[in-house]
Amino acid sequence: MIARFYGSLPLPASYRMVLRRIAAAPLVRNRAALIALIVLVPLLVATLAPWLLTQANPVAQNLADSLLGASANHPLGTDKPGRDVLARVIYGAAPTLLGALVVVIVSGVVGVPLGLIAGYYGGKREAVIMRPLDALLAFPALLLAVLVVATFGRGLETVVLALGIIYVPAMARLVRSVTLVQRNQAYVDAGRALGYSDRRIIFRHILPNLVGPVVVQSTIDLAYAILDIAALSFLGLGQQPPDPDWGSMLADGRSYLLQNPLPAVSAGLAIMIAVVCFNLVGDGLRVQLDPRERER
Amino acid sequence: MAGYAVRRLLAAIPTLLFVSFVTFGLVRLAPGDPVLIVLGGKRISPELLVQLREKFGLVGDPVSQYIAWLGRAVQFDFGESYKLKQEVGDLILARLDTTVELVALSVLLAILIGIPLGVLQARRRESPVDYAGSFLAFVGVSSPVYFTAIIGILVFAVWLGWLPAFGSGEDPVDQLRHLILPAVALALGMIALTSRMTRSAMLEVLASDFIEAARAKGLPERTILVKHALRNALIPVLTVISLQVGFLVVGTVLVESTMGLGGLGSLITDAIQNRDYPVIQASVLLLTVLFILINLLTDLLYAVIDPRIRYT
Repeated sequence: MIARFYGSLPLPASYRMVLRRIAAAPLVRNRAALIALIVLVPLLVATLAPWLLTQANPVAQNLADSLLGASANHPLGTDKPGRDVLARVIYGAAPTLLGALVVVIVSGVVGVPLGLIAGYYGGKREAVIMRPLDALLAFPALLLAVLVVATFGRGLETVVLALGIIYVPAMARLVRSVTLVQRNQAYVDAGRALGYSDRRIIFRHILPNLVGPVVVQSTIDLAYAILDIAALSFLGLGQQPPDPDWGSMLADGRSYLLQNPLPAVSAGLAIMIAVVCFNLVGDGLRVQLDPRERER
Repeated sequence: MAGYAVRRLLAAIPTLLFVSFVTFGLVRLAPGDPVLIVLGGKRISPELLVQLREKFGLVGDPVSQYIAWLGRAVQFDFGESYKLKQEVGDLILARLDTTVELVALSVLLAILIGIPLGVLQARRRESPVDYAGSFLAFVGVSSPVYFTAIIGILVFAVWLGWLPAFGSGEDPVDQLRHLILPAVALALGMIALTSRMTRSAMLEVLASDFIEAARAKGLPERTILVKHALRNALIPVLTVISLQVGFLVVGTVLVESTMGLGGLGSLITDAIQNRDYPVIQASVLLLTVLFILINLLTDLLYAVIDPRIRYT
């Protein structure tokens, strides 16, 4: 159904073909990716409408209920200030997952045009774009993020922006390498011979070929972004207390791990499940979009 | 090969200058005067303040500060920590061995477990071993190191009581025992990527004609796998490992803070909290140098594994 929807969009045929393949991808052959997509549904609900999944308040403290085990009232027990762990896990989805989405969008919006220009035109423009990006890659990514966040103030917004920029070089390099291959294809020469403008060749002919690799890379980047956001908030640089967040829950739960491991373990499992799902979906998409992979 | 190595090292100089300049700029962009942070609210006379600024190298415009710092850094003089009142070089050297041991142990685990696992998976493709390995690989790349470390503490320190949970230990044997859990936690992701890469590279090589020829000659399976197939599959595996070592160095920051180990990672995070400029600058620079050296070492190793590759 989704495939048909994309097919009816008023887009050039080349885009419609790619989008149809993406929409049909994980559902057709790959059972693991299908399961991952199903698991992502509750995560999506938790991100957009957490109140549908739990009645409990994620920030309401009740010191009398400190560090309870699992019970009917608190399915995952309570943390030190007596907050419901399940509610905190559910409400904690939004900062991490939406944050990861923004990271990927930032890296795509900046990285795709840069890589495209560098790959298509080459020469001086390529040097001006790629040199600084390559230099950025010389930094250990997480360390640079820690440094930037420490400089511009802790908080989710800074973390997400810093990671978005740090993810740009990888995206730009990917786009550049695909563009380089496409630029030398016969169809581009044919377009030039027909007198098409650069703009037309880029947008109508090269860009559709980029959609597949960029979608795959973005899905896998989502998984990495979740890990990185969680790592930074684990270090106390991301979402600030008392707002619920997976990384900071883990850091917090670590201090009373021996009395009640449930808060830390729940938050850690939530991170892991989200990452596994995005990895599986990304893998499924890659198999579907890369003809060579499909034959294997 | 020596000429190639020297040229690569020279080419690294601009990168190091860039990294040090950005680090230098970033720490100075941060709000808050490091002198006041070090004083922690203590009131002192304006003259003393000026003296402290001078001592910390915080006078003049940022560019001349940077040049002054660079001039001393090339002589391995990284100044004195604002907070800890010790030579930065000594501080780093004291912490470096924990981090290096941790990283070395993890790499060793990744090589000793990841490569044989990948070979086995490729050999017994689509068998239970293959599926179990793939599952392990997926869990490995998806689990954050600090979470793996916490699960490790729960299982091996709390429930089974085999290993210590926190701290760095007293005598060498005890220290090694304290390193096992963090090293395994750190290695898990790397084992996953190594086995995955070994598996797919081996599958590719095993399908090629010269393996067929070796089989036709009647060579024992072991020889085919290890001498013919693995050696040809090793280059991409090596690349993955060397790229991962870079991430490992950063991963130690997270593991060290989870397990209460005093290594380079915790030195850096503390320094960032305290605006300890000299420590931040020197340790970021050191990590970048390590990155570059590891990459160079990998490229040189390629030539050892594959004699067709020659550097001139």
